[in-house]
Amino acid sequence: MTFTINGKERTVDYEPEMMLIDVIREVLNLTGTKHGCDNSTCGTCTVVMNGKAIKSCNTPAAKAAGAEILTVEGLANGTALHPVQKALSESGAVQCGFCTPGIIMELYGLLESNPDASETEMTNALNKHLCRCTGYEPIRNGAEIAQKVMQEKSK
Amino acid sequence: MNYKYVGQPYNRPDAISKVTGKAVYLDDVRLPDMLHAAVLRPEFAHARVLNVDTSEAEKCEGVVKVVTGKGCEFRYGDNIKDLQPMAVDKVRYIGEPVAAVIADTLAHARAAMEKIKVDYEPLPVYIDAVDAMAKDAVLIHKDLDKYWRLPTLKETPGTNIANTYHLKKGRGEEGFDEAEVIIEEEFNYPLGSCSAIEPHGTIVWFKEDKTIECWSTTICPFIIREDLAHSYGVPVSDVRVHTPDLGGCFGYKSDVTTEQTIAWIASFVPGYPVKWVGTRQEDYTSTLLAHGMRTKMKIGAKKDGTLVAMKTTIYHTGGAYADTAVNVTIASTHNSTGPYEFKHCDLTGYTVYTNTPAVGAYRGYGHQESQIATERMMDLLARKLGMDPIELRKKNFLSEGKVNAVGETMWKHNGNIQECADRVQKMLYSKPKPAEDDQYYYGRAMVTVMKSPKGASFSTKGCYMKMNVDGSVNINMGGAEVGQGLRTVVKQVAAEALKIDPSRIRVYNEIDTQFSPYEWQTIGSMFTTQGGRAVIRAANKLIAQLRKTAAQVLKTDEDYLEYDGDFFYLGNDPSVRVAVTELARGYITSDGITIGEIAQAVSDARLPRYSNPDENGQGSIGVSYTMGSQAVELRIEKKTGKIIVDHYYSVFDVGQVINPLQIRGSVLGGAMMSIGAALYEEVVFDKDGKITNPHFFKYHLPTYKEAPEQTIEFVETPDPVGPFGARGIGEHSVIGAAPAILNAVYDAIGVDFFEIPLTPDKIKKALEARKESK
Repeated sequence: MTFTINGKERTVDYEPEMMLIDVIREVLNLTGTKHGCDNSTCGTCTVVMNGKAIKSCNTPAAKAAGAEILTVEGLANGTALHPVQKALSESGAVQCGFCTPGIIMELYGLLESNPDASETEMTNALNKHLCRCTGYEPIRNGAEIAQKVMQEKSK
Repeated sequence: MNYKYVGQPYNRPDAISKVTGKAVYLDDVRLPDMLHAAVLRPEFAHARVLNVDTSEAEKCEGVVKVVTGKGCEFRYGDNIKDLQPMAVDKVRYIGEPVAAVIADTLAHARAAMEKIKVDYEPLPVYIDAVDAMAKDAVLIHKDLDKYWRLPTLKETPGTNIANTYHLKKGRGEEGFDEAEVIIEEEFNYPLGSCSAIEPHGTIVWFKEDKTIECWSTTICPFIIREDLAHSYGVPVSDVRVHTPDLGGCFGYKSDVTTEQTIAWIASFVPGYPVKWVGTRQEDYTSTLLAHGMRTKMKIGAKKDGTLVAMKTTIYHTGGAYADTAVNVTIASTHNSTGPYEFKHCDLTGYTVYTNTPAVGAYRGYGHQESQIATERMMDLLARKLGMDPIELRKKNFLSEGKVNAVGETMWKHNGNIQECADRVQKMLYSKPKPAEDDQYYYGRAMVTVMKSPKGASFSTKGCYMKMNVDGSVNINMGGAEVGQGLRTVVKQVAAEALKIDPSRIRVYNEIDTQFSPYEWQTIGSMFTTQGGRAVIRAANKLIAQLRKTAAQVLKTDEDYLEYDGDFFYLGNDPSVRVAVTELARGYITSDGITIGEIAQAVSDARLPRYSNPDENGQGSIGVSYTMGSQAVELRIEKKTGKIIVDHYYSVFDVGQVINPLQIRGSVLGGAMMSIGAALYEEVVFDKDGKITNPHFFKYHLPTYKEAPEQTIEFVETPDPVGPFGARGIGEHSVIGAAPAILNAVYDAIGVDFFEIPLTPDKIKKALEARKESK
């Protein structure tokens, strides 16, 4: 199967029962994408496929054939962070950091395609992710800052 | 106090690695020739294991070894050695390891695991401490008196009682004869789970050179090192334990949890690292659960509201192994007075064996479980006395000069709870409560809480500090970073103590028992207090070393020299000076002769005079307290019975804020967790001891949309133990939510509840019952 991940074209062997997360973590050793639960509830496995945030733990690997995939490792340009990464790293949104990759990819998926996402759209997106550390307020703060920066950029 | 670096919102050093996906958590560790383990769990929660047939599993693809508990002769545990790494002849809970498959891939290991056949003879199952204490109950541990235990612990042979803790202050129960009003109620804080988003996982590698190397999701790598060394008969120095980045802890990654099981499995394939990472289901069934406490509480008071006597009996569902539960019971029991003085106390805590996963630490460590009772009782007593519940609390606070349950006199520096309560009261009652409307009932309430640390008297936190040739500083500590941000705290405290900019200080990134200084375990909200103290001690040692060299260089006495972070200089002539950078690796004179030590220092810090309790539970077992007040504004949806928390308030006296961004984050998260416990979370068992909700679908963690607005403030009465006056705050924010919500529900609909979680069903039933009785 061939697909593009973080800008590089890759061809991989995979077992038919594998989910996309298994290919990302175990075949490609991109360990930034996390496993947090057994049944697609926590959101930390979220990656962006063809521009849309999806859960990689319930996406069969075969669906990635020919797709363009972005994981959390693919956002920064050297030491220059993507605005979503920068905002979340500074707003207090990171404590243990285990939910962070999924939330970053969710916001990336939403704001790259729709920088003017409404508050409801932002809330619905973030509600797909469980965070046990922060009480969510600093994540909301970071998301709002990221959105402002991306709105400026898109003007 | 105003400090230069302490009190500033510096960003945490690990934020970048975490937003770029480069932080390495346990499951991200990859080692050469690593094998994978799948662990078989039983079909019964309590049963004799008659036979384990591994023959079919052994033939499966990729299988290297199938392991059972047969032949395991050792027991382990830090407080009570009642644990075994794998079931030998009996299973005692539904998540117990029965057998394991080691294979080349996880998929192969899991497939082969299905082929293991086990014959069981089921035994009666006890889910609740009270049932397990029944006279005719079958014994979960027949030989409990044969287990090694700490000398302070006491089992009851012939029963399922693993330990009974008792505290008597004043005249104990007899003191109720001084009371004019007595109330008594029973409360339940059911089993729950810490549910960090990262599940538990462990890698163990028995190496060819007879050393053991381990990576684990643990906050106590040094305990694991000692425990494995003891079990496998090797020197402690030959066991090396790593703690990678941790995806949350909240308690249940303390103590030895899954490490001994994975070590047992890996011991059958020396030369190969063996990895196991729990599924979410296993994280519920086979690590540590939390809470599980029933509290019977009796309070006696004078008519004017002066509290006189308290009797508390705690029945703690400790789980199949009591090693990790026993200290939670004890902490819960002696802190059941909350932040109030009672002249007479009779407090008893039973840690009881049950057929549930072992209960262990959960943020708050027993305090919320018994203070749900205390804080509800204050409101119930006030109602009976016809007093304002806040005035009743204020009248009885453990303020300066009062004596707490363990016999410690409280000082001004133990914190200003009065100020915390005043502030919360002002915020909560500054506007009128919304009137009931078509959709909602409205309620609000405030509580006051306290927490002491709970640890071992020898518990200490080490610090290794070295200054580099450019004057920058590296610091290693043994404290586990679980998300709380201790690296930032260390950096700021060290900067203040060394008088250098935090940008010149780099704090370690992972714990490795080979290189990290000793720390018992990172628990009890004590890292800032003890670890911060250790940092200051190390900084002072390091400055003293530099000063000694500087005195030689400047040909004067040490005490004539001043230090400003960059230079040592003569107090009476600042032009006579030498730069710190010239001293850091010894001072090289013009002819090359070098004098003075390398600037490095090792230090540690314990709580002062922290001791074991005496036979009445009296002693210096708190030392440092953090007190505060919390409040809730909520709505109850009439149609569904659903509780919506609109606003949550917290004010704690933390001595000194080190980092305002982080401390707010800590309290925000703790409040959210405890609102989850109060409204949604309970690990539910069927009568056979199976967990019916071992996943996030049904064990509902609070979500983004359920997060209330929070107001958080801090009072700063400096503490003499912690660094620059700071005291612990990591756990305290979880204590108030359950009683505050239950009291606010009474305020809203006039119905008293005595247990959590307060689900819509329970509210609806109560509303219907209320309608009928009208």
